[in-house]
Amino acid sequence: MSDQTAAPDQENLGAMLARRGFGRRSLLKFAIVMTSSLALPPSLAPVMADNLAKAKRQSVIWLSFQECTGCLETLLRSSAPTIDSLIFDFISLDYQESLMASAGAAAEHTLRQAVAANKGEYLLAIDGSVPVKDGGVYSLTGGRSNVSMLEEFAGSAKAILAIGTCAAYGGIPKAHPNPTGAVGVEDIISGKPIVNIPGCPPVPEVLSGVLVYFVSFGKLPDLDDRKRPLAYFGTTIHDQCYRRPFYDQGKFAKSFDDEGARQGWCLFELGCKGPTTHNACASLKWNNGTSFPIESGHGCIGCSEPDFWDQGSFYTSLAGSSATGWRNAGIAAAVGLAGGAAAALSARSKTPTIPEDKS
Amino acid sequence: MTLLAFARGPAMQAATLIMIAGMFWRLAGILLLRRKTAHAAARTPFLLRLAGGAKTIVTRTVPRKNFWPRVASGVSLGWVLHIGLFVILFAGAPHILVIHQITGLSWPNLPKGVIVIASALTLAALVALLARRLTHPVLRLLSNTDDYLSWLLVFLPISTGILLSGETVAGYGTLLALHIFSVEALMIWLPFGKLMHVALVFAGRGMMGFNFARKGAAT
Amino acid sequence: MSTPPADPAANAMRSFISDIGPTISLALESCVHCGQCAEACQYYVQTGDARYTPIHKIEPLKQVYHREVGPFAFAYKFFGLAPKLTTEKLTEWQDLIYDSCNMCGRCSLICPMGIDIADLVEQSRHGMYAAGLAPQDFLGALAEKEHASGSPFGLTSVQFRDLLHDIGAKHNVTMHVDEPQADIVPTVSSIDVKTYPGSMAAIAKILNHIGASWSFRTDGFDADNVSLTAGDRDGQNVITQSIVKAAIAGGATTLVMPECGHAFTEMRWEAANAYGKDLPFRVVQITELIAEHIASGKIQVNKAPQNATYHDACQLSRRGGATAAPRVILAALGVALHEMEDSGDAGWCCGGGGGTALIKRAQPLRDKAFAIKQKQVEATGADIVYTSCSGCRQTLDHGGKAAGWNKTVGSLLELVADNLIPPSPPGLPQPAPLTSLKAPAGSGII
Repeated sequence: MSDQTAAPDQENLGAMLARRGFGRRSLLKFAIVMTSSLALPPSLAPVMADNLAKAKRQSVIWLSFQECTGCLETLLRSSAPTIDSLIFDFISLDYQESLMASAGAAAEHTLRQAVAANKGEYLLAIDGSVPVKDGGVYSLTGGRSNVSMLEEFAGSAKAILAIGTCAAYGGIPKAHPNPTGAVGVEDIISGKPIVNIPGCPPVPEVLSGVLVYFVSFGKLPDLDDRKRPLAYFGTTIHDQCYRRPFYDQGKFAKSFDDEGARQGWCLFELGCKGPTTHNACASLKWNNGTSFPIESGHGCIGCSEPDFWDQGSFYTSLAGSSATGWRNAGIAAAVGLAGGAAAALSARSKTPTIPEDKS
Repeated sequence: MTLLAFARGPAMQAATLIMIAGMFWRLAGILLLRRKTAHAAARTPFLLRLAGGAKTIVTRTVPRKNFWPRVASGVSLGWVLHIGLFVILFAGAPHILVIHQITGLSWPNLPKGVIVIASALTLAALVALLARRLTHPVLRLLSNTDDYLSWLLVFLPISTGILLSGETVAGYGTLLALHIFSVEALMIWLPFGKLMHVALVFAGRGMMGFNFARKGAAT
Repeated sequence: MSTPPADPAANAMRSFISDIGPTISLALESCVHCGQCAEACQYYVQTGDARYTPIHKIEPLKQVYHREVGPFAFAYKFFGLAPKLTTEKLTEWQDLIYDSCNMCGRCSLICPMGIDIADLVEQSRHGMYAAGLAPQDFLGALAEKEHASGSPFGLTSVQFRDLLHDIGAKHNVTMHVDEPQADIVPTVSSIDVKTYPGSMAAIAKILNHIGASWSFRTDGFDADNVSLTAGDRDGQNVITQSIVKAAIAGGATTLVMPECGHAFTEMRWEAANAYGKDLPFRVVQITELIAEHIASGKIQVNKAPQNATYHDACQLSRRGGATAAPRVILAALGVALHEMEDSGDAGWCCGGGGGTALIKRAQPLRDKAFAIKQKQVEATGADIVYTSCSGCRQTLDHGGKAAGWNKTVGSLLELVADNLIPPSPPGLPQPAPLTSLKAPAGSGII
């Protein structure tokens, strides 16, 4: 990536691509693929290609909060199509603490300069949750809390990308008992366009799709009621899963590595959360379309949904629920018995004994 | 917390505990009342009385042939409803999963198509029974809020279950949450109204059979 | 109750509450409003009036239960889920609890939840009586008399003794009265005393025939127990205890109940509970005693090959467990028995049981109930209808007359007594049984 800290280049994307040997034809091919991926009508492909050609370098300021860095690693590891990585090269990733060379005061200076230079135009990318408990002391950068940084830098951003389930909804740090008071970006910021790109980590192609759309059309793609791009989160894993026929036929693996599992049957009974999980894993898959968890024999854990870590065991099916536990059931029974006994006792005091025959 | 997470989590725990506590409360309140010892010489020994109780639990399901002509329609609809519920709950794959989670027991399920047919018949019987309750003079006189509420609390799980298995009308997560909520509502009301017959039918028939076997009286 | 109580509803409430134990509680909790009980009840079936739905008849008892002694009584009271009992409500329910219920138990037989509704009506009557709401013309009045004197018609011990000796003389039967020691003590029904005195001769004849040591007891003879059907618990207890004491005083090992439904139910199944411990004698109905002795050969009867049908008294068969005995007797007699539809345990009440025959204003309702029995009797084509309850016998008599029957109504007890083959003196062969047709002598006319 480029470590530019100066004002955006004057060169537009079309010129930059031409320099590297990718002409208009390639750009159009790319646009055709992207419009399809984004579920846009094919007629928009030439429009996208034109817009991309004319686009200026987009400033992206990336703040990492209470995260594991997995989202960043995934995006870097992705062997996305060549043009995708070029898009990444094209966007001006003006600030990213793990990737940039500078640190400390120099890094802070970089951030301030980037914000000042791109005021109102930069995309603010966030990964990691935002802890709010105890004044946000649980995640500090240079002694400054995430909350404080988010509030300041969201103000002059054009839009915010909440990358990964942590940034979108609080993620793993938010799991019960949530000791740090972790929340998602949308719980802190309002009045700014936010797009959530959940997943633990998110599918890399989803991020690049959102960026391409933004660079092409100057706005965020259509979002659902959880602010996720509809193109990628509009269906569930269940809807796209290649094992769906087995679900419909009632063929389920009952345990890992049983006959059904070896036959590749549906993993519903082994806890797959596919039916309630919105993401593109079943169609785009991972590692450049290699596979995804279900294909590897493990049920979907629903990692792109809010509170996925608090849904009970990953191996309890959707038909099941949080176990009440026999101990609690026993206590409830005892409470019931006590109450009923008290009622009976009260009633008994009203019913006299059978009168003895006195005569 | 999402609606589904609430339904599968705290709501399910609360509903389960309320149902257990309520059932034990009601049964204890009944059985711990002052008892009168029966001194009259029994016609049958104790074990035969127990057998009489067990027999009555089973045989009261089918009215005597003398009564049959006058009660056939209502009783038949009741059978369709209960047998249908039994098929849905004990032969439907997702419910076997629930039982497995609670007890560790499991058995093969019937194909989804069979459950769909059973569900449709059960629903039809339920609607027919409501129509009957609303039009039959005896039932109109007897029926109260509990009757209609209990009907609704059975109707909702069946109908949301049908929608859920067809994955139609709304998203899976929403349908699942609604289905689970409807079951929880049933669980919460169960100990307090006529739905308690799930336990009382055994107690009542058994007690009558036991007491009447004592007298050699007809059951 | 000569003077109506100051607070009828309070009296009723107290009575209801004192009757409730686990069995009654379970019964009052279990109703699922299925409506099947109505289909078993002669009053609903014949009138189509939903008010006669059996479980509806006990609504006051149910409401008091829920409000006062049920598991959630506090909630019922707090949220006003069951109204407080009022005298108006009890009055409104009077004809449901009395006039339109024979306590026959068909409803209890059909109820899919195992609720003994007939018993709940009996319990309800306790409260009604305590509230002064038993119909006075003339069930309540007779119960009062019975409570005071031991007999609903005020028959004294002396009068009963004299009556017995008269009957003995008239029928040429040895009567035993107030013997100091007797194995078997029989009792009578007040209907027998009033209308069918031949049955007392019949009992004497049979007990003499089997060579038992037996005796009537004038200190405890009238087993009718009108108080039971009126709901007077105290009166019911007075009668019951006097019979128990009389049997004990006589040193009885067997107490024989007459042809009467509720008399049998009371002494066989309730007396020991009222007494507070096991009875020192066994209790049998007269048909059971006869059937036992037929089985052992001690009673042998001529053949009486009549074209007959048999009406089961509700309290003897369905409620009492004595369904088999009459048929043993009829088979021994060689009677051509044409069973009615719904015979035996599921039989319809004659319409006169449970004290309703003593409620004058209930006549039209009783007639409607009897219409079922009438049709079923006629459908058998039988010439005679036998029964082993004087209450049923009377109802069948009256109803049959009103219907213009050319049939006769007979007592099984008297049929046996008229057809006894005397035991032959030892050493001589048994005479051949008579095969001639013998019209029953004890058909209600002395």
